[in-house]
Amino acid sequence: MANVSVAAEWQLLGDRYYRKPELYHPMQWRHIDLSRNKVACAPFGGPVALIRDDSKIVQLYSESALRKLRLFNSAGVSLSDVVWKNPGGRLIGLSWSDDHTLVCIVQDGTVYRYNVHAELIDPNLSILGHDFFDENVVECVFWGNGVVCVTETCKVFAVPDFKTRTVVRLADPPPPPSSELELELELPHCVAVIEPQYTLSGNVEVLLAIGDGVVMVEEDEVQALPVPPGDGPLQKMVVSGNGRFVAAFTHDGRLAVYSTRFEKMFEYQCESALPPEQLAWCGLDSVLLYWDDMLLMVGPSDEPVRYLYDEPIVLVPECDGVRILTNTTLLYDALDHFDRRSAKADENLRLIRSSLPEAVEACVDAAGHEFDVSRQRTLLRAASYGQAFCSNFQRDRIQEMCKTLRVLNAVRNPEIGIPLSIQQYKLLTPSVLIGRLINAHQHLLALRISEYLGMNQEVVIMHWACSKITASLAIPDAALLEILLDKLRLCKGISYAAVSAHADKNGRRKLAAMLIEHEPRSSKQVPLLLSIGEEDTALMKATESGDTDLVYLVLFHIWQKKQPLEFFGMIQARMLARDLFITYARCYKHEFLKDFFLSNGQLQEVAFLLWKESWAMGKNPMASRGSPLHGPRIKLIEKAHSLFSETKEHTFESKAAEEHAKLIRMQHELEVTTKQAIFVDSSISDTIRTCIVLGNHRAAMKVKTEFKVSEKRWYWLKVFALATIRDWDALEKFSKEKRPPIGYRPFVEACIEADEKGEALKYIPKLADPRERAESYARIGMAKEAADAASQAKDGELLGRLKLTFAQNAAASSIFDTLRDRLSFQGVS
Amino acid sequence: MAQIPNLDNAPLNLTSLREQSQKELLNILKNIRGKKCLVIDPKLGSSLSSIIQTSLLKEHGVELRHLSAEPLQTDCTKVVYLVRSQLDLMKFICSNVHDDVSKGLQREYFVYFVPRRTVVCEKILEEENVYNLMTIGEYPLYIVPLDEDVLSFELDLAYKESQVDGDTSSLWHIAKAIHKLEFSFGVIPNVRAKGKASVRVADILNRMQAEEPVNSPDMVVPEINTLILLDREVDMVTPMLTQLTYEGLLDECLHVNNGSVELDASIMGLQQEGKKIKVPLNSSDKLFKEIRDLNFEVVVQILRQKATSMKQDYTEVTTTTQSVSELKDFVKKLNSLPEMTRHINLAQHLSTYTSKPAFLGQLDMEHTIVEAQSYDICFEYIEELIHKQEPLVNVLRLLILFSITSSGLPKKQFDYLRRELLHSYGFEHMATLNNLEKAGLLRKQESKSNWLTIKRALQLVVEDTDTANPNDIAYVFSGYAPLSIRLVQHAVRSGWRPIEEILKLLPGPHSETKRGRFSSSPSYDTLQAPANMDKVADGRRSLVLVVFIGGITFAEISALRFLSAQEGMAYDLIVGTTKIVSGHSLAETFVERLG
Repeated sequence: MANVSVAAEWQLLGDRYYRKPELYHPMQWRHIDLSRNKVACAPFGGPVALIRDDSKIVQLYSESALRKLRLFNSAGVSLSDVVWKNPGGRLIGLSWSDDHTLVCIVQDGTVYRYNVHAELIDPNLSILGHDFFDENVVECVFWGNGVVCVTETCKVFAVPDFKTRTVVRLADPPPPPSSELELELELPHCVAVIEPQYTLSGNVEVLLAIGDGVVMVEEDEVQALPVPPGDGPLQKMVVSGNGRFVAAFTHDGRLAVYSTRFEKMFEYQCESALPPEQLAWCGLDSVLLYWDDMLLMVGPSDEPVRYLYDEPIVLVPECDGVRILTNTTLLYDALDHFDRRSAKADENLRLIRSSLPEAVEACVDAAGHEFDVSRQRTLLRAASYGQAFCSNFQRDRIQEMCKTLRVLNAVRNPEIGIPLSIQQYKLLTPSVLIGRLINAHQHLLALRISEYLGMNQEVVIMHWACSKITASLAIPDAALLEILLDKLRLCKGISYAAVSAHADKNGRRKLAAMLIEHEPRSSKQVPLLLSIGEEDTALMKATESGDTDLVYLVLFHIWQKKQPLEFFGMIQARMLARDLFITYARCYKHEFLKDFFLSNGQLQEVAFLLWKESWAMGKNPMASRGSPLHGPRIKLIEKAHSLFSETKEHTFESKAAEEHAKLIRMQHELEVTTKQAIFVDSSISDTIRTCIVLGNHRAAMKVKTEFKVSEKRWYWLKVFALATIRDWDALEKFSKEKRPPIGYRPFVEACIEADEKGEALKYIPKLADPRERAESYARIGMAKEAADAASQAKDGELLGRLKLTFAQNAAASSIFDTLRDRLSFQGVS
Repeated sequence: MAQIPNLDNAPLNLTSLREQSQKELLNILKNIRGKKCLVIDPKLGSSLSSIIQTSLLKEHGVELRHLSAEPLQTDCTKVVYLVRSQLDLMKFICSNVHDDVSKGLQREYFVYFVPRRTVVCEKILEEENVYNLMTIGEYPLYIVPLDEDVLSFELDLAYKESQVDGDTSSLWHIAKAIHKLEFSFGVIPNVRAKGKASVRVADILNRMQAEEPVNSPDMVVPEINTLILLDREVDMVTPMLTQLTYEGLLDECLHVNNGSVELDASIMGLQQEGKKIKVPLNSSDKLFKEIRDLNFEVVVQILRQKATSMKQDYTEVTTTTQSVSELKDFVKKLNSLPEMTRHINLAQHLSTYTSKPAFLGQLDMEHTIVEAQSYDICFEYIEELIHKQEPLVNVLRLLILFSITSSGLPKKQFDYLRRELLHSYGFEHMATLNNLEKAGLLRKQESKSNWLTIKRALQLVVEDTDTANPNDIAYVFSGYAPLSIRLVQHAVRSGWRPIEEILKLLPGPHSETKRGRFSSSPSYDTLQAPANMDKVADGRRSLVLVVFIGGITFAEISALRFLSAQEGMAYDLIVGTTKIVSGHSLAETFVERLG
């Protein structure tokens, strides 16, 4: 039975069981000797980078003297390689950042970055810069996305984030007391880093073992930490994964675990006083020490566990354990947190009926932590068997776990080579895992997983499409387009614009244009069309979208790029673009707008603009009334007049402009002669009324004749003007001048409106139409006369209406009055 | 009473819509810490008054100002501009900032565009060298609910901008607003559009659905069943007529602005000389809800009855002994007293206006023009108005009505009236005339008028209208049925097909489309027989959203409410509009004030 061997694999350390399953055996690589190489392994089962260690003297076998940087997945499958010929001296350190960029730092402080395809990512970064170009980096410690470097003169630099790529120089550690005597500076014995996410300040803190003590260096602060006496000098230090503990190897062969403020938690006396080659945390509860052929696992209590190796190994700390890389195998050490009961859960299931649900739970859990597929199967089968006897066990737990395991098993496959544990997977999250898969160009698996987990496939397809474009220089545009569309169609709402932008960046403008045609979102499509120089199409698409903002975007783009005439030509035939341009230009670019209208022969529009300007000039306080500044105004209007007269259709406007100019001249004269600035900018009718009101009848008459004012209008104007100044005698005289061309109605109305019943009565009898007479009497409240006139008109309908008006008016108003009185009781209003 | 209307009885969940808008605005203010001066463009300010109380803004450390060309007076170091994306407003912002700079004042500027930032506005800020001093943001206010059944897009210039300037930005805005509604209430399956702008909005709406689909689960019935889009251009006759419903007449006489009127305190019977007060008008006022849509004649009678009955009750209370419950009933009635008083005051004010001979003459002439039988009388009447220099906008209203019903004026008379207008009101109105001509509202006659055909076919003039017990929408104009609402009536009842011949006589194309998952199902064809699908789960009737592009009048809204209340009507109707308009406000947008 499999379960027997499972239980046997476990080793007890303190109160915890650890085990060390084999992840990949044999490794797919051949002839790799870890001892000859510098090695960088990415956490979370990520890729491995190898490069021949140039600090060691090694014998060359049948290989080139040129060093190669070689990248593998965790199963030892080669991903890529590249010849290392970067200048800058010896390679000091290399490490994978969180986004799987390989960061390599050489002696002169240059940082070279590679992606998983061994392609150099531009640009390089210089840590030491110009100011310290003569220094050398001697040590570097990486974390997540950052690094700390120590130079030979013990200056400390940090790059907190490779993405932002800023270099920070940290405070200088104090020189150890001994260096006062010696000429040469003493370098720290060892260096460790507390990641920014675990520090109070949010900045990186660097621990340097100098002399017998440890100093903590920050951006602008140095602090000596109280190492317990007798422990220093410390030979090796490493900070735990949660940033709270430091494991260190003392000068006299003890392993000590401190808090980060160097309060000792526990210690263990090793057999060797020689510091171990590698020191690593395994989870949070134990520390691994590696000497030449021995691996020691030390926990807080009890005897340590010992493993012997006859080949070199590399320790790769993970969140829940350590990966051990050898030349031939990848082992996984220490799935801590796991007790024996769960390891033997399926067996217990049959024994412990009373705690069945817990046992089922434990089985499911155990399956999750299992790397061996057949054991996973055994455990899950047991769980599902047990579940049948538990009424209240969450059924989807098993399903969930199966789902997770299928994903894990898929990526653990040596071809993919990502040996994630379930805990790592949960910490990493599925979307990051998918991100890593597509980075490694495992698009198909990524697509399947995201489909399986019901995640958005857009990221995967998008990345695939972009990679495809980059990799398919030889495929003609039309063929490639088909290949791309085939996949892009799978994902509704995918951004064709983004793919198109990528094609353009890769120099495939035509393909870009073809792709952008498929983008349904005009707000994405139009800017891209502009960037690939397809202005005409952009304008068309923007117009079609109905989004005027997009049309403006295109408009300004073309405006800036082209000569005015070419620009005018482009928008002339596009109605919406043209109208929007005119709207904008009307507000802010008058002169340019005139050029536009002139360029296409719309002279009347230019004329309207000039005419408008003449008012703007009128409003200008400098052109105050009566001043000779009317001159330029009149000139503008006259220019408008002549432009209007160029086209037959605008005779009316042309005449109006001519009259307008004449009017301003006359009004100007009137202001001069009357010394009253009240004429300019009033209408012809108003001018006539003002003249009459001022008693200047000659001037009024002059305006009348000059502008051929009709007799009808003249009568209305004069009657009202005379009523305004209440010159009733003059009004009567005027009525007798001749028979008024529009009858006596104006006279009646003017008098009634001025509330002069007596005056009105002079004219009402003269009204020709008895109906008008009747209504006029009615208006001044003479009911009887009104009725008489109405009956004279023999108009029954009118009579009825008049009666009604009288009745209703009186009744209505009195009713409302009484209502209001009634309702205002009790002070409510 | 609050000016913010109560929306609890709305057929759609408009409350959440409004709350969302409130929240968005407050978030903007919260995110700018400390004391700040909020500068609002005045028109937006009056729109916002239907969304949020000023006091709530002040609670967020806000000092309120209206945007103008005048230098900004405030001690605040943070200035937040909240403006519609209108070109002319940019000038004001720039001049404010330039003024601060010249005085050496250092301030932090934020510009929030409503409803969204635009390239062209930002371009102007750039050219005026103030762009880099500002933090730019958006306040996506596309819809303002004015009442339970009225939504406004608050685009008061939409009609003029698209008809005169060719700037169709408002159409995108309208489509966006409707699309936003669809995100809340589901894809509207039926769309009927009449008019160039409407067909375009339907088209943009479909594009938006393709670009940014509303994913409605298959089994959920969309809350809005049909969208009817109508261009104001299709019916410019109706708004030019004087509205005769209570609310319409209030608008004609006192200009209702975003659900309230401002008037002299003396009209409301208050003893404060010369003081202006604001009276809210929305359906939160129960009495107003009852009478707003009625013909004004009837309103006067109803108010009289109510007053009389209350008087009787009062006499009974004071003279006879009554039970406690009877007294209770009476006290309850007393609660409606302030509302009664308010409307009696308003109605009295209106009746002084309606009894004037000028008003009656105006009504008479409007009907004569609509009848379109006596061309010369109409012409002379308008000519006389011009000679008497009656207010320009009044003249333009009649002139527009006249030009539309006669499909333009013969060249000679066209030129003559234009000349008389320029002589009487000033040459600056050359621009006004030009605007009206571009919009097709006042033009030279080029073909024979088909108004008589339209009038007859759609039965626009209804003889013997009983305004007290109306059986047709014609009651709102005492005998004229608004053309626009007749079209809606047909569109709701049977779609465009039966009236296609008439539609062809009106300006612009028309379209009828099915959308979403209904686009391919032929069985779901007409609105005629509402299947079970039209019923929303809780028994409410499903909805038809009627959108007016270019504005709707109160009288038309009343007519729609009348339709909605008819027996046999399967739908609730709600209105969307660019703005609530009247003939006055519409005509005014074309008037250029240059002088």
